[in-house]
Amino acid sequence: MSYVFRSGFIASCLVLAACSGGGPSDPAPSDPPAPPPPPTSAPISPSFETTSSTARFLAKAGFGARAADINRLTGTEASDWVLDQFNTEPSLITPGMRAYHGGLIADRDQPAAGLVYGLAPTLTWWTNAIHGEDQLRQRVAFALSQILVTSRRDPVLDFHPEAMAYYMDVLNENAFGNYRDLLEDVTYSPAMGVYLTYRGNQKADPETGRMPDENYAREILQLFTVGLVELNPDGTPVVSGGQARELFDNDDITGLARVFTGLNLEYNRDEERSYYDRPMQVYAYNHSEQAKSFLGLTIPANTPAEESIDQALDHIMAHPNVGPFISRQLIQRLVTSNPDVDYVERVSRAFDTGQFTLPNGVRVGDGRKGDMQATISAILFDPDAEPDNALGRNDFGKIREPVLRFIHWARTFEVNARQPELVWDIWDTSSPESLSQGPFLSPSVFNFYRPGYVPPRTEAGDRGMTVPEMQIVNATSTVGYVNFMTYFVTRREGEWGHQEMIDFIGQGYPVDETAAPRAYVAGYETEMALAHAPEDLADHLNALLVEGQMTNTTRQIVIDAVNNIPLDDPNDQDARRYRVEMAVMITMTSTDYLVQR
Amino acid sequence: MPINRRHLLTGMGAGLLATGTPGVFTAHAAQTSGYKALVCLFLFGGMDSHDVILPYDTASYDGFADIRQTLLAEQGASRARDNLLSLNAALPGNNAGRQLALPPEMPRLKQLFDQGNAAVIGNVGPLIEPTTLSDIEADRARLPRRLYSHNDQQSTWMAGAPEGAQFGWGGLFADAMIAAGANLDADFTSITATEASTFLVGRDANPYRISSEGAPEVELLERVGYSRGSPEGDRLFTLLDTYFRGHSQNHAHILQRDLGGVMGQGYQNNQRFSEAFERSSGSFNTQFPRDNLGRQLQSVANTIAIRGELRAARQIFFVGIGGFDTHSGQAQSLPARLATIDAGVASFYSALSELGLQNDVTLFTASDFGRTLAVNGDGTDHGWGGHQIVVGGGVNGGLYGAFPQPELGHEQDAGGGRLIPQVSVEQYASTLGGWFGLNSAELDRAMPQRQNFDLSGLDFLSRGNV
Repeated sequence: MSYVFRSGFIASCLVLAACSGGGPSDPAPSDPPAPPPPPTSAPISPSFETTSSTARFLAKAGFGARAADINRLTGTEASDWVLDQFNTEPSLITPGMRAYHGGLIADRDQPAAGLVYGLAPTLTWWTNAIHGEDQLRQRVAFALSQILVTSRRDPVLDFHPEAMAYYMDVLNENAFGNYRDLLEDVTYSPAMGVYLTYRGNQKADPETGRMPDENYAREILQLFTVGLVELNPDGTPVVSGGQARELFDNDDITGLARVFTGLNLEYNRDEERSYYDRPMQVYAYNHSEQAKSFLGLTIPANTPAEESIDQALDHIMAHPNVGPFISRQLIQRLVTSNPDVDYVERVSRAFDTGQFTLPNGVRVGDGRKGDMQATISAILFDPDAEPDNALGRNDFGKIREPVLRFIHWARTFEVNARQPELVWDIWDTSSPESLSQGPFLSPSVFNFYRPGYVPPRTEAGDRGMTVPEMQIVNATSTVGYVNFMTYFVTRREGEWGHQEMIDFIGQGYPVDETAAPRAYVAGYETEMALAHAPEDLADHLNALLVEGQMTNTTRQIVIDAVNNIPLDDPNDQDARRYRVEMAVMITMTSTDYLVQR
Repeated sequence: MPINRRHLLTGMGAGLLATGTPGVFTAHAAQTSGYKALVCLFLFGGMDSHDVILPYDTASYDGFADIRQTLLAEQGASRARDNLLSLNAALPGNNAGRQLALPPEMPRLKQLFDQGNAAVIGNVGPLIEPTTLSDIEADRARLPRRLYSHNDQQSTWMAGAPEGAQFGWGGLFADAMIAAGANLDADFTSITATEASTFLVGRDANPYRISSEGAPEVELLERVGYSRGSPEGDRLFTLLDTYFRGHSQNHAHILQRDLGGVMGQGYQNNQRFSEAFERSSGSFNTQFPRDNLGRQLQSVANTIAIRGELRAARQIFFVGIGGFDTHSGQAQSLPARLATIDAGVASFYSALSELGLQNDVTLFTASDFGRTLAVNGDGTDHGWGGHQIVVGGGVNGGLYGAFPQPELGHEQDAGGGRLIPQVSVEQYASTLGGWFGLNSAELDRAMPQRQNFDLSGLDFLSRGNV
């Protein structure tokens, strides 16, 4: 860590420790607030007004802020940051995967090396999420990965990491594009073709009674675009006769299933290989010549595959449900679990019109339905999401996704996340003993939780609120998260089995011997400097992680816990570190933190 | 839930049950062990029961083989008629000459069936009222909503309505038992070994999650425990213990209150579960398969083994595995899944036999839906009704329900061999619930549509007059 970097870090921390005020339940720290750094231009949006609001915005628009980000951006215009993010180069998965496959893992046949071979996209995903500068793009892609679900759980995709990497990059590259184009890239992607079993799907054969596979036809409608019931523009179901009106029956599905026949992997005859990292190709002899009818459209008989797919996707995309259906889910992934209907309606208007005007007056979106820049901007800058409106409410916000909490920690404390292959615990975080969630590791196309999940036996459930993340909260997973975080928060340099991991992965594995023992170890330099002053430490963590929303109760628990870890010798770095670790653990397991408001 | 430790063990058994609503348990006055459990094995993805409960008589098999020729070509010997395990039992209804069989990867289930400890219930699924194809075509049938959709049919199976339903019939069964005072510790009445399941949620019943490694412990607290003995160490330990119990917060925010409540309750239940485990001596030697289902069923058996320490006389469990959505590669993937079920269920039965509880625990299957009889190349698509398997010493072995001929275009074919169910989930569940000890009124509360169906017969378990 360079001197300049470190001094900037400490300076920002001092600002943070003093600027945590603003929320209704704030501890009102005794220090007078220091003025924020002079803004470059007067901000119009309240998003970056205070350090707390900056931390809050960046936790929705990325994987969580580093102290330096908060310090740099507070007082600037958030619209500018978003525009800048739209133009930031994407961190892609494929190059990282190739680095593993080309150099690091020389011999795939060694059992453990084979494991890392398959894991390469996941490992690259962690590194990019923690270190990438394209935070908004990656966060949106992660949200999309929970709507347009594919998963390494599928054994074929586990065996073909290049299919996963290609798919992850389809999401990355289309995150700021158009949802219609994204759908098309997804439709032709080998990963989706494998996952929803239409790769190799053949037209009907009256001789044998064979019918086209209906899997993708059903899920592209039910999960990826329109849902099951007719929606109002605000996302509520259209009710007639006391019942929601269902959009389609199985005849629509068998009709649409004919569209997705004839696709299969590109095949290279000379090399005798199939490509999992290129769009699937049409094999016309397998494509249905029959007329294809669904949702009121009939694609005439003998329409070729590409043309059929084009017409089908255009027709689906034109359905009025797509805007509210996708907008509500994106709001849930980024901002709040149970958005007001007006919020959904405003965002779906941006989705439908393909336009949104940022607080600084810049218009984003090209005017085509499905514009992602317009949609994302509308979600992030909606009046409901502004601190003044959101923080006073007792039903706004979301349970932070477990994966996001972990990355938040890694980014906030600026761990070195290189060589994740040496960190066994992040190879697969999807079990309830771990994070109950992992990137591209969903147990099924229905994701880890459902957007419509109304948690039973809760106050939210009694009010009919959707709280998707509550679906993975149980007696095992809550402890799993605490233990997972305990391992990382208290992980110390050299005190872990990286040598065993190196031995396990295989001989000849190129390891940076000086960097490896520090992988995923937090330095906590700034925090350890505050370890003798528990109140300051608590306020610092409040500003950094809890966005100024730490309650007095939690603050007092942090302070009492730290005070009960003896620090007789002020130079005892071990004790200082233990105090910090305890304070971070309490903060990050508190409901103040776990619910992002 | 307050704990009264003086009640420990003393109240177990039939004597306690008699303190419930008078008449509720009259059908079970002669309980031997005073303990009963239901175990729902959910087969996520929609199991193709056409490929599990197979036709065996030559005529039926040949018709089946014709419709499924492309799939059978891939399946080869595993579905050759000679290799099927025939079930020596008469089909219900007027089906003289017909015979059914299990696939060769289910020899242990076949053995349980032969011993009279397993039953197959044909063509079960969600219905609102008895329904045929003519009813549907004439538009006079009220149909369950969102047919053929995974999540919605899972929810309909478990809770009688599409996704968003709040209470499952397992949870409502548990509620009836909690109300009747069957369990002194209501928190261990409905128990899941896998993901959150609507099936187990009741108004009072709150599913507790178990794992094969016992209740998880908070490692941070263990670490802090090492410094106990000093005043600071003791204070820190107490502080954290109180913190994780969730007694220290009084939030204004709904989600924080809800989350804090679930976390604190989970922490406390984990502690009580661990303590029960430590006190208990009940165990078994059966080795379970080391796969996902094996681990889940082992954790259920472990929990049943400490039922006394948990002070439970009635428990409902939920286990589940996925991989049944066989749109593709069915010939490769389904046999392995079925072998997993076969091995897991047989181990479970064996462990229960060691505990002397094989007659007191009934395991039953459920799934999103059955699948098409028609083939899509190398798999099958979403259907509706399906055949279910019930295992336990209390089971009256045999074949129940209805098993339409493996043909297309009959009165129970909604298209492509998607079976229109002939046994509603409510009918299936009524037999299970009656055996479990619920009376008619309690069953009606748990399943409001139950009275739309003929509730006589279907006696695959003894269930009294409900």
